[in-house]
Amino acid sequence: MKDESANLSFRLTLPAQVLVLFISVFPLLMQAYISLTDWSPLSGQSWTQAWAFWNTFANYSDLLSDGRLWSALGRTAFVMAVCVPIEFMLGLGLATLFMDDFRGKRVFYSILIMPMMVVPAVAGYMFFMLFQSGGPVNDILSMFTGSPVTIAWLSNPKLALVAVMVADIWQWTPLMFLILLAGLVGVPEDQVRAATLLGANPLQRFTSIVLPRMKTIIGIALAIRVIECFKIFDTLFIMTGGGPGVATETISVYIYKIATQDLIWGYVAAIALAILIVLSVVCVWALKRMARVRA
Amino acid sequence: MTRSLAFEVFRYAMIMLAVAVTLIPILWMASMAFKPIPEWQATGAALTWWPKAPTLDNFRFVFGVSNSDLIVALDRTALKPILASFLAAGIGTVIAMTAGTAAAYGLSRFGSGGNLPLALVQLRLFPPMAVMTPVMIMWAFLNMTDTWWGLALVYGIVTLPFAFWLMKTFFDDMPREIEEAALVEGCSRARVFWRITLPMMRAPLASAALFVFILNWSDYLIALLLTTREWVTIPVYMASLSSSMTGQLYGAKAALGLMAAVPPVVLGVLIQKHLVRGLTFGALKQ
Repeated sequence: MKDESANLSFRLTLPAQVLVLFISVFPLLMQAYISLTDWSPLSGQSWTQAWAFWNTFANYSDLLSDGRLWSALGRTAFVMAVCVPIEFMLGLGLATLFMDDFRGKRVFYSILIMPMMVVPAVAGYMFFMLFQSGGPVNDILSMFTGSPVTIAWLSNPKLALVAVMVADIWQWTPLMFLILLAGLVGVPEDQVRAATLLGANPLQRFTSIVLPRMKTIIGIALAIRVIECFKIFDTLFIMTGGGPGVATETISVYIYKIATQDLIWGYVAAIALAILIVLSVVCVWALKRMARVRA
Repeated sequence: MTRSLAFEVFRYAMIMLAVAVTLIPILWMASMAFKPIPEWQATGAALTWWPKAPTLDNFRFVFGVSNSDLIVALDRTALKPILASFLAAGIGTVIAMTAGTAAAYGLSRFGSGGNLPLALVQLRLFPPMAVMTPVMIMWAFLNMTDTWWGLALVYGIVTLPFAFWLMKTFFDDMPREIEEAALVEGCSRARVFWRITLPMMRAPLASAALFVFILNWSDYLIALLLTTREWVTIPVYMASLSSSMTGQLYGAKAALGLMAAVPPVVLGVLIQKHLVRGLTFGALKQ
């Protein structure tokens, strides 16, 4: 009986283990190897011959002084720092409106969560059209100002970044809304009612009863968005291609460009590996901290 | 709790505003998909929110019917990319669901699997761009670049974490008494899984599979890197639809975008109640 379960459980997890190893171990080793060379697919040699271009740690010292890389990282951090809090506040605000029943709740709910199910590349194209200089965004703005507005959103370095962030907020506020609403609904109603009877005003009820109970959920929602925002690519790339110039070049776009246009794969591997190592350390640290908080 | 009238007015006003902001981009694309060429780039006073002369030409165009008002004809139609999207996303879903369900059951019932959960979280954490170069080299070596099966395999691995965590929470929630009763009756473990557990999990399995399918269908970056011509998916094909002669083919792209956007939105509404669970890796059950 014991043997049978052990055997079965091994067989059950085997496919997943194999797939994970397939996508992690071999590519990681390959990446580590190539990152120590100047190899490029244009060199005419296969990657196994990359040792012919051995340069030890030159790629790694290069990336420390790569201004474009650091500004791409900084830009990604900036997008994260602007978008995630706005998405959180808007999502939380909307979620509080949906806490009790009202007419049409289900229909409104279904409509409001639609954006996050739109294919991100398609969402990127939607906003590409909206932000054309003769497009609907300017048309709406002209209605308010009374005079024709012709802002070239996507070819202005500063405004392009704004447009990209608007698209991100449009698409991912629903995710915050969805998760936070699930959390709000889970707050025990009798506690809220008791606080009301004791004379707590809505703000007090919210900060002293609802928020503490939602700590974990808020943490999860923010963590998901921070992680996804760091990867930002699809919408942004379709809207601006990282441009004008490098004005909207985030870390994923930067790696994509040097991998597909400059084809310096040794260097790409070094950057990718450095990011993976930093993220792994952060991830393990965060999980340990979470375990400690829970214990 | 009774709310004041002022609050109700405020609530509806805010919700209507949110609904408007949500729908405008979607409606603009939908309306663009039915606009004839002269209306594609109409600006200023001529800009219209609804097509003045609605037409299906854009849809016909992407399926290869040439349009006399456009100088260009497409060198390939949308048919193959649609097929590619369905094949890669569909088979990818099958791979993720098979491996994910089996592993989830193993972990949920026997606690086996060791470091698998953590490895799967990490897989989700990494930006795909940072792991794709070795995959591109590997795929070129294995002759899997620009094939639907090569793409499907990557999709299967990328969405495996979602399949695994969703199914694990579903298995954890399932009462074990029935399985235990069957075991006592002398059923083998494997038989219990096939004959009792899986049939009971039909509905959760379907929701999880739809969820994973939406994720695969939504991909752009991976298809952009791993396909070049024969098996490009809808988003990659759509992005490539512009030419130096005519510039952006607004209407045609909008028609394609609309076709790409409809399946996930419909499926998403269908599995609404499992969305929170899926998106939070099962950490939160609604």
